[in-house]
Amino acid sequence: MHIPDGFLTPPVWATLDAAALPAVGYFVRRTQAQFDESRAPLLGVMGAFVFAAQMVNFPVGVGTSGHLVGGTLLAVTLGPYAATVVMTAILVVQALVFQDGGVTALGANVLNMAVAGVWLGYLPVKLAGGPRRVALFLGGWMSVFGAALLATVQLSLSHVASDGPLFASMLGIHAITGLAEGAITMTAVEAIGKLSPKFVFRGEA
Amino acid sequence: MKRAAWVVGVAALLLAGVAGWVASTAPDGLERVAESLGFASRGRAVAPSSPFADYRTRLVPAGLVGVVLLYGFGVLFGRTLKRKK
Repeated sequence: MHIPDGFLTPPVWATLDAAALPAVGYFVRRTQAQFDESRAPLLGVMGAFVFAAQMVNFPVGVGTSGHLVGGTLLAVTLGPYAATVVMTAILVVQALVFQDGGVTALGANVLNMAVAGVWLGYLPVKLAGGPRRVALFLGGWMSVFGAALLATVQLSLSHVASDGPLFASMLGIHAITGLAEGAITMTAVEAIGKLSPKFVFRGEA
Repeated sequence: MKRAAWVVGVAALLLAGVAGWVASTAPDGLERVAESLGFASRGRAVAPSSPFADYRTRLVPAGLVGVVLLYGFGVLFGRTLKRKK
């Protein structure tokens, strides 16, 4: 659901860029101040892993594909603050090096996937008091569906199509992609937890 | 944790290496909706063309470039963490 350049009108993308910049600044500073240094090696490998996983598109119904976004996966390994920073870095590399997602739309994509995607994905885990299976699944689903909902609102504000079909088709497809996100997140966190229980984040910050 | 970090790192390289062969090339959800509702043509690239655009290169699986960049980001960002006593 990376929004390319051209889909959003200038007032919409410029506003979202202006909002994303201080938001990311806040998450960077907060992570720098509070992230546990002993976990620093995870920043690089989890960013690399989620970037790579996002490349593997799988079929979702006929003629459509989806891929992992990884908001919940990053949040439960790095904590939500660092997860937002790392997801932002992934989106920046995708936009600038791979032309996956627009440059003007970077603010929109960051707010949708790195901020909303990570924090909505983390919410059920936080409420469940830990990375329980149901919470991981629900988190994965919510992170994709929530990010898609925001993207759809932004597209609607840009008048790309009439609202009825736009919301119905975007939310319909991403409700299904979200199920795959939930299942993959659950499996990946379990596998990582077996490798090293410490890899799975349990504290604040 | 170090061993687990290695495993995840190697998994990232493997995934990026094979993604070009195994990934579905069908449009993703947003692309599909843009096609069926007729606004796909609005999309245009603003960034200067990149040799790795859309993860396509002939020499090296392009994803490996991204894996290295993201790993590098994590290492550099890790160095900016404030030391705690």
